[in-house]
Amino acid sequence: MSHLSAENVSVAFAGLKALSAVDLQITPGRISGLIGPNGAGKTTLVNVLTGFQTPSEGAVKLDGEALIGLKPHQVRRRGIARTFQGGRLFRDLPVVDNLEVTGVGLGMSRRAAIAEAEAMLDWIGIASLSSRIAGTLPYTDERRVAIGRALMGRPAYILLDEPAAGMSGPESKELSALIRRIANDLGCGVLLIEHNVGLVLGLCEHIVVLDSGAIIEEGPPASIRDSEKVRHAYMGTAANTDLPVLEVME
Amino acid sequence: MSAVSSATETSLTGEVIAAKKQARFALARKTIVTPILLSLLLIAITLITVMTGSRPFNQTVIDVLVRVIFVVGLYIFIGNSGVLSFGHIGFTCLGAYAAAWLTINPIMKSSALPGLPDWLLQTRLIYWQAAILAALFAGVAALIFGKVLMRLSGIAASIATFAVLAMINTIYSNWDSVTGGTSSVVGIPIIRTIWPYLIGAVAAIFIAWAHAISRSGLALRAARDEPTAAAASGVDIPKERLVAFVVSGAVMGLGGALMAHSIGVVTPDTFYLSLTFITLSMLVVGGMGSLSGGVIGVVLLSALIQALRWMEGGVSLGDATFALPKGIQEIALGVIMIVILALRPSGLMGNREITLTRSNRNT
Repeated sequence: MSHLSAENVSVAFAGLKALSAVDLQITPGRISGLIGPNGAGKTTLVNVLTGFQTPSEGAVKLDGEALIGLKPHQVRRRGIARTFQGGRLFRDLPVVDNLEVTGVGLGMSRRAAIAEAEAMLDWIGIASLSSRIAGTLPYTDERRVAIGRALMGRPAYILLDEPAAGMSGPESKELSALIRRIANDLGCGVLLIEHNVGLVLGLCEHIVVLDSGAIIEEGPPASIRDSEKVRHAYMGTAANTDLPVLEVME
Repeated sequence: MSAVSSATETSLTGEVIAAKKQARFALARKTIVTPILLSLLLIAITLITVMTGSRPFNQTVIDVLVRVIFVVGLYIFIGNSGVLSFGHIGFTCLGAYAAAWLTINPIMKSSALPGLPDWLLQTRLIYWQAAILAALFAGVAALIFGKVLMRLSGIAASIATFAVLAMINTIYSNWDSVTGGTSSVVGIPIIRTIWPYLIGAVAAIFIAWAHAISRSGLALRAARDEPTAAAASGVDIPKERLVAFVVSGAVMGLGGALMAHSIGVVTPDTFYLSLTFITLSMLVVGGMGSLSGGVIGVVLLSALIQALRWMEGGVSLGDATFALPKGIQEIALGVIMIVILALRPSGLMGNREITLTRSNRNT
C-alpha cells in the first residue's frame, strides 16, 4: 500500500534532541493528526518529511523509496506538499500567481498553471480572491490560499502546519470541511499539525502525540482523548489559558 | 495520485481546459504595454536627438542608451532574484573586449594583441555581428561563474559577485598579449549613428520583459519574496537564479560591445568600480523591482549627470564663471542613492510598471 513514512527519525541541534526515534506513517485518502505542546518537535518533523531538515538518524520513505538527501523542491515534485505556520504567501503577488508558482515549479507552462490555479481557487471556494494581492488578505483567507497553493499539481500527501491558528469557531468548521474534502475527494493523505486539539480529534483517524521530541501516545481519537499522558503533557507545559479543549469539534 | 473521485476529477479538468483557452496569450497581451511604452520613450528621445543634429547631444544620448542596456541587464538578475550583484560590469568588460577582438583590423590586432589565436587575429566582423557574439560570450561566462555562485544566497552571493568583477579586472589588466593589459585597446570601429544603440536598448527591454513573464521569471520573483515557500512549491531556486544570471550576463555583454563601439577604445578600468557604482545607483534610484524603474532611473540620473558635467565645466553668469568642483557627479549620485534608500527603498517607481491601465503590478 502506498504511504509516506518517517522511520526512527532523530534530529539533534547542537547536542539538543529535537526528535528522538520518531515513527510516523501517512496514507493516501486518510487524515492523520500530529499534536503536542509547544516545542514538542512537530514542525521539525514536518521539516524532515519535506526535505527542509536532514535527520541525524533514521529515514523518510515514499512507497519504500528513501527521500533523505533530496532538496525541498525535489520532495515537492514527488508529490509531498506542505503549508507553513503563518502562511508564507508571496505577498506581492496576486492570489492566482501564488498558486501558479507551484504549477510552474512542478513543470507546467504558465498557461497551464494559471488554468489549474483558477480551477483550484474555484474548488476551494475562493475564486473571488483570484486577483487580490496576497499581502492584503485577511488571516483566514491567507490560510486557504496557502492550502490551495499546496494542492496545485494534486500532491499525494499534504502536511498542514497549524492551518487553524487564529481562526474563530465557524472558520475552523469551514476549514474542517475543506480538509475532509481534500482527503475524500482528492484522495490526498493529510497530516494535520494543530494546537486546536478539538479539530484534530474530530477529523483524524489516527493521531500521534509528541512531547519533547518523542512520541508519548498514538492511536484513534478516543484513546488520545482519554490518555492521561496527553493531558499531563499539555498541563505540565502550558499556562491554563493554553490548555487545549479535549473535545471533538464536529 | 490514487483514489481521486471521478466526479471531482471531471469537474476540475473541465474548468482547467476552459481557463486554458482564456489564458492563451493573455499574460503577454496584458503586460506588453510596459516594454512598448518604455521603448516609445527611448524612441522619442532618439528622434529629438536626431532632429537637433547636435553631435555632442548625439553622443550623450548614445551613452544613455548604452546605460539603459546595462541597467536593464542588471535588473534582469537583481530585480527578479533580489540578490545584489556587484559583478555584472565584469560581463560588460568581457563583451567589450570580445567586440574589440572581433572588429579591430587584423594588422592592428597582430601588433597590439599578438597572443590572440590565429583564427581570431584573422577575423574581422561587422559591428552588429560582433555584438551578438560578444553577448553570447558574456552569457557563457555568466553560465560558468553562475554554476558556482547561484548556490549562494544573501550577502555571500553579493560578495562572490564582487569577487567575479575583481577576477575579470585582474585577468584583463594583466594578460598583456591578449587584452593589452592596462593599456588602451584602440582601433575599434566607432559607430556614430544612434540607431544601433536604440535597437540594442529596445532589444534589452524586450528580453527583460520576456524573462519576467516566463515561468522562470515568476518562479524567481516568488523565491525572492519567500524562498522557503518557493522551495516548498517545487521551485529549484539555484536553477532559476542561474537562468536570470546568464540572460543578464548576455545583455551586459551586448551593452559592453556597444559601449566599445561608441567610444572606440577599451581598458579594463573602464569596466570596474566607477561604472558598477553608476549603474547600481540608477537601478536603485529608479526601483530595483521593476523594468520601468531601471529605465526611468537611467533617464533621470543621466540627465542629472549631464547637468552636473556641464556645471563642472563652468557656467558663465554675467562676467563671472561659476563651476562646480570636479567629482561632484559621483558625490551627487551617492547622496541621491542614500536619500532614495532612506525615504523610498523601493525606488521612484516603487516596484510598479508603467502601463495604460490601473493594474500595473510586475508580473
